[in-house]
Amino acid sequence: MKKIHGMLALFDTAPAIYQAANTVREAGYKQWDVFTPFPVHGLDGAMGLKRSRVPLFTLVGGFVGFWTGMFIAWYMGAFDYPLIVGGMPYFSPVFPFPVAYEMTILFAAFGTLGGMFFFNRLPMHHHPVFNYEKFRRLTDDQFAVVIEAGDALFNEEETRRFLEELEPLEVVAVYEDEEAVSA
Amino acid sequence: MTTSSEVFAPSAAGAAGRRDPSLPFLIGGLVLLAVSIGLLFTGSAADPVRPFLGYLVGLTFWTSILVGMLFLVMIWWMFDSGWSVIIRRQMEFFLVGFVVIAVAFLPLVFLAISGSDVVAWTWIDETREKPGTFGMVAEDTLFLAKAAYLNVPFFTARYILIFAAWIGLAFLLRQWSFRMDETGDHKYVLWSRRLSAVGLFVAALVTTMAAMDWFMTLNYHWFSTMYGIWFFSASMRAALAATVLILFWQAGRKEGLRGLIQPTHFYFMGCLLLAFTVFWAYISFSQYFLIYSANIPEVTFWYNIREKSVDGSLNAWWWVSMALIFLHFLVPFLFLLFHKNKFGKPLIFIAVWILFFHIIDIYWNILPQKLSAEGLLGYTERGFVPHLTDLTAFLAVGALVIWAFLRSASKHRPIPIRDPRISESLNLHE
Repeated sequence: MKKIHGMLALFDTAPAIYQAANTVREAGYKQWDVFTPFPVHGLDGAMGLKRSRVPLFTLVGGFVGFWTGMFIAWYMGAFDYPLIVGGMPYFSPVFPFPVAYEMTILFAAFGTLGGMFFFNRLPMHHHPVFNYEKFRRLTDDQFAVVIEAGDALFNEEETRRFLEELEPLEVVAVYEDEEAVSA
Repeated sequence: MTTSSEVFAPSAAGAAGRRDPSLPFLIGGLVLLAVSIGLLFTGSAADPVRPFLGYLVGLTFWTSILVGMLFLVMIWWMFDSGWSVIIRRQMEFFLVGFVVIAVAFLPLVFLAISGSDVVAWTWIDETREKPGTFGMVAEDTLFLAKAAYLNVPFFTARYILIFAAWIGLAFLLRQWSFRMDETGDHKYVLWSRRLSAVGLFVAALVTTMAAMDWFMTLNYHWFSTMYGIWFFSASMRAALAATVLILFWQAGRKEGLRGLIQPTHFYFMGCLLLAFTVFWAYISFSQYFLIYSANIPEVTFWYNIREKSVDGSLNAWWWVSMALIFLHFLVPFLFLLFHKNKFGKPLIFIAVWILFFHIIDIYWNILPQKLSAEGLLGYTERGFVPHLTDLTAFLAVGALVIWAFLRSASKHRPIPIRDPRISESLNLHE
């Protein structure tokens, strides 16, 4: 027996998927997603998505980078091998500043990349929605909303009926892979 | 290009027949300007040029806002920017203020021509004490080497050139934009873009000249190739912060931008404010860093007097320097990193904050100078003490610039209704 991943409703136009996202959000579903071939302006608002938390990773990365740069300059110049260069002090926050600044940017970029991977659950080599036979249309000219089985309000019959009320092209159950179930 | 922009006919267009609210600004401004000019001659015997510097500080604050706006308008034309179109119009209103600045600057030029003792540019009078060491300016090798540039006739010519360029660019960009409201002819877009392509270079040149003439040569011994761009970066911050405040004022007016301006406009302005906060810090630090690394006394003294008295103890300017690093850069930088701070009250707060510390930055650049020659007993430097002229000149020029802005804003439409990109700006989406 295949395990159900969720219930998919297929739409033809961007306004239709926008309305569908509004309705699904208002119905109180939490675990669901929308698949579109291109970015649809305002869809994040219709879905009720909050702002990404990736910037937090960027900020933490930036701080770590700044202090790493300063620490390197202090450790080498003032602690491990003190050497007078150009009559400057062993350590001052002034001259290592370009180093700390570059490290800030580098580590902030690492933080952004790491945060993006973390929140997107990357790397993800496969997704059950790929099993949908018309998935390729979702990268071309059609739109879909998928309510996942893990949602508290999910009920195979009721969710199907709810999605059919949105007047989609079709409503299809999407199943997990069999290997994934046995594993 | 189409004339589809005619579809947008804001209810707030036109402003005929209302009472002129700008009159008190004109009267107050003129009175205060007269007071400020009178105060120029009240310097103490030990420091006769102090009121002159206060006048320069007040004038520079408003000049920097205008310079930044001129650059922003031209940059937006250059990049054919769509989102900024309704913001550009507010700046076009404000740009008329260059005329006020040119007039308010005249007393300083006349004093320089007359060789008066109250003028802070020491090089205008060759019989004055040269900065730092004993002797007269006329005997100073560093002055003689620069005398081809630092002389009153050429200085006056540069004053005319600087304001001719600023006012000329501002005048053409304003007139073409206003005329497009009436005729809907999009040739003005092409003209403005062509003018901006050349105008950016011209404005960069004369703005650098202004920064060198008016602030850097307060001590003509000192030189920094970063100085022009320091003034540019500070001006951009001031202009963005001032524009944010203008936008909030306009957003609340029915005849202004109420219902037209989106939160995203403020968000984008906040983003630019963050970018130029970093840019200002980058430029200011680079200037310090180069002088620190080279460690040549000819230029390091400029920073020395902003940190220490001659006996090595920290002076008041050291605290101002620290305030600039932490309060003019770090606080706005961290504050503006957050998405929610680029809207509404937080944005107003940080715009006011930046403008306040922008004055401090101007203070810090203009005021500290050695007051006496360096001898056995050392020197004294001018302290961080406010003077009445700082306030009166700031208020006088400000009132007159705001008067000019209000008059201009009451004569023309609050948005450029026939700009080909107006719909992009009105339907702005993050």
